[in-house]
This record gives sequence, structure tokens and C-alpha cells, in this order.
Amino acid sequence: MNQSIITASDVQKKISEGRYLLLAGDESVLEQLPPGNWIGGTIPYFITKEHGGLASREFIFVTDITDIAQSVSIARYNKDTLANVYVEGPKQDFSFILIPAATDTHLSFAMNAPNYKSFGMSPLIGWIAGVHLDDIDTKTPKAFDGSTGGMIEDGALVMRVELKPGKQAEIGIINLFEQGDGDTLTFPSDGFAAREAMVNGAPQNYAAYLRAHNLDTRLPIVADYYGALVSVSFQCINEVENMVHFYAPVFNGIEYKHAKPVDDYVAAFDAQARKVVGLDTDNVVFSCNCVLNYLFSNLENKKTGAFVGPMTFGEIAYQLLNQTLVYLEVKDC
Amino acid sequence: MEVPSKSHEGWQDIVTGKKTFELRFLAAKIMLGRLVRGVHDNPTPQNIDSRIDLLYNLFAQNSNSITVQADIKTIFGK
Repeated sequence: MNQSIITASDVQKKISEGRYLLLAGDESVLEQLPPGNWIGGTIPYFITKEHGGLASREFIFVTDITDIAQSVSIARYNKDTLANVYVEGPKQDFSFILIPAATDTHLSFAMNAPNYKSFGMSPLIGWIAGVHLDDIDTKTPKAFDGSTGGMIEDGALVMRVELKPGKQAEIGIINLFEQGDGDTLTFPSDGFAAREAMVNGAPQNYAAYLRAHNLDTRLPIVADYYGALVSVSFQCINEVENMVHFYAPVFNGIEYKHAKPVDDYVAAFDAQARKVVGLDTDNVVFSCNCVLNYLFSNLENKKTGAFVGPMTFGEIAYQLLNQTLVYLEVKDC
Repeated sequence: MEVPSKSHEGWQDIVTGKKTFELRFLAAKIMLGRLVRGVHDNPTPQNIDSRIDLLYNLFAQNSNSITVQADIKTIFGK
């Protein structure tokens, strides 16, 4: 694994050496960087090997994939053309995607990625760019295209990575949130907000249901996709409209349950990581986790082993996920 | 690795939910989470065939993956 948190001047040195880089940092440092073989998304929250959880506007989190990559190319998409992201993906290698949060492209990807043509035909991993929470009303998330020096506030940047011969990529997730023992929820339509939910088959106002049951909305609702636990996080309850808003869409026909609490995130994470990946984490090339886990589980200064990276506004492993660590392994084959 | 043909009954068993397996390939799990429910809601032969096409193509396109090869053994026993 070649991931580290370093200064902008050290990143500039790597760029000048022609290295292939995936970057995460505050806008103020990413915009200083020269053109090169890199893409970067804005976010100032990280889990690092050295310091554990860290918020910094000065440092840049670097994932250097030079040692595993034969070549890279960078493509830009908009909310409509992004439907081709799988069709145009490398067959045996992987694609890394960055999408600024709260944009049309973010919403479109979240809603439609599972139905994109050729879904899953090649590994797609990445994250949703964000901002420091103090800046949420004054700055917009961005993605930077090192190949041109340009920046986007809407759209998606995708780095297509051709791996060196004899290597293959595999994507995994670690979601500590399991379905609780409570009611089964379904929703009448797809969307980032819901007024009504079917609770064990009976329609109810979902906001009123959450209040009546005093449910902790720091915990997500969780769907079981054939053994893969997929979380959807709560954004807020609009008391005026009696609407519940989420950070990812709920989908009609999918059954959700409120998650069980996780008492000690780090201990539970370590146990789950050992179960999923084992003790040999040398093949883990990239990972990112959710800023909500950083906040709600108090991860500042806490370490999560080999799984380091940005703490984001959404995680992408083939589709958008919430409150989940996604990781990329590159193995010999 | 060769992927069993679409006519193999294993594909029908998995998309109809007749048999369930503990798979490792994340994209297949995400896809199956929807496919099985879609077939449950509309179990016509045409719908089953179209879902088998989607799943077969996913496995065929990723057949060089060690994880996918392991899942094929899990489903088809070879």
C-alpha cells in the first residue's frame, strides 16, 4: 500500500516525477498543484496511518498507484454521459471516480447507477467530494483534473487505470451497520426524501414514525443486497414538510431496517476487517470511509489499521453507499 | 475460466431465489439484491430470461477474476 498524508510541496514533487496519484484535500491546497497524472477531490477529513483521524486544510492525502499501474487516462462526464461509465470502463482493470456532492451528477449517479448499462462489468470505486463542515454554506465541493489543471463543480472525473500485467483489481466494503430487529420498511418510490414509508406493509408518515419510536438518526437504515449490507444515512427531518431526507436514495421494492447501534466503532471495525480481508492487508491499495462515521463515532485521532484515506460525503463501490468503508485490493493473478 | 451457459439451471435457480449462495463478488451481490426481487414480483419466463442475461453477462465479463471464479464454483460446483 502506498498511501500517505503529505504537504502540497511534497505532492508537487511526486507530480513532477510523473507519478500516478489519487488525491484528497482542501480546495485551497489542491488548487496549488501543477498539471500531471492525478485527479483530486475536495475534503479536509482523513484517517491516516500516522495520526489516525485528522481534519486538516493544509495536508493532502495521497494514494500513489504508480507501482501497480501500467497507464492511466482521465475522462470527464456529466450527469447524462455518466451512464456510459461502465460501458467505457477497462475490462480487467479499474476506474476511479470523483463526483462533487450535492450536484445534479451526484443525484443522477445515486439514483441511476444500479441500472447503468453493463453495471459491474469493470470495477468502479471512488467517492463524493465535500467541504469542511464549517464551510458548508460558503464553499462548494470540487474535483480537480490534473491532466488539464481544470476543476469541476458538477460532473464526474474518472481515472481509467490499466494495471501492470498479472494483476487484477477487486472492490470490497466494510459496513459495520447491521439490520436491527425492528420493523421492515419499504418506500413507495425511489428518492432522496420520503414522506411515507410502508412499515411492515402499512403506510405511515415516516417522520412521525421516527419521532414516535425515538429512533437514532445517526444510525442508517440498512438493506440486505444478497448478503451485502447497504446503508442509507439520514440527512434531516423537515418538520414543516414532514419529510425525511437522506444522503443516498431509498429504492422502491428494497426492504430496509434501522441499524443496530455500534458501541465501539474501532473495535468493531478491526474485527470486521480481519473477517473480511484477513491479516494480510498488503493488497489494499485504496480505501475511503464516511465523514458521518468520523463524526458520529468520534474517529479523530483513532486508527483503523491499514484502511486509511479520505472521510467523504459518499462512498462509491459500483454504486453510491453511505456510512461504509470501501476499499480496493490489487492482487497478483 | 468458462462460465456455464445461460441454459444451465443454476442461473434460473439463483435469479428465482430457489437456491441462495454466499457469494464474494460485490457487483453480483448488488445486482442479485435487485434481480431476485424483480423476478419475485414478476416471475414470467421473459423476465427470468432477461435477468439471467444480466447476471450471466456480469459473470462472463469478469470471468478472469479469482473471486468470480470462486463464486462460479460455489454456484455450479465446478
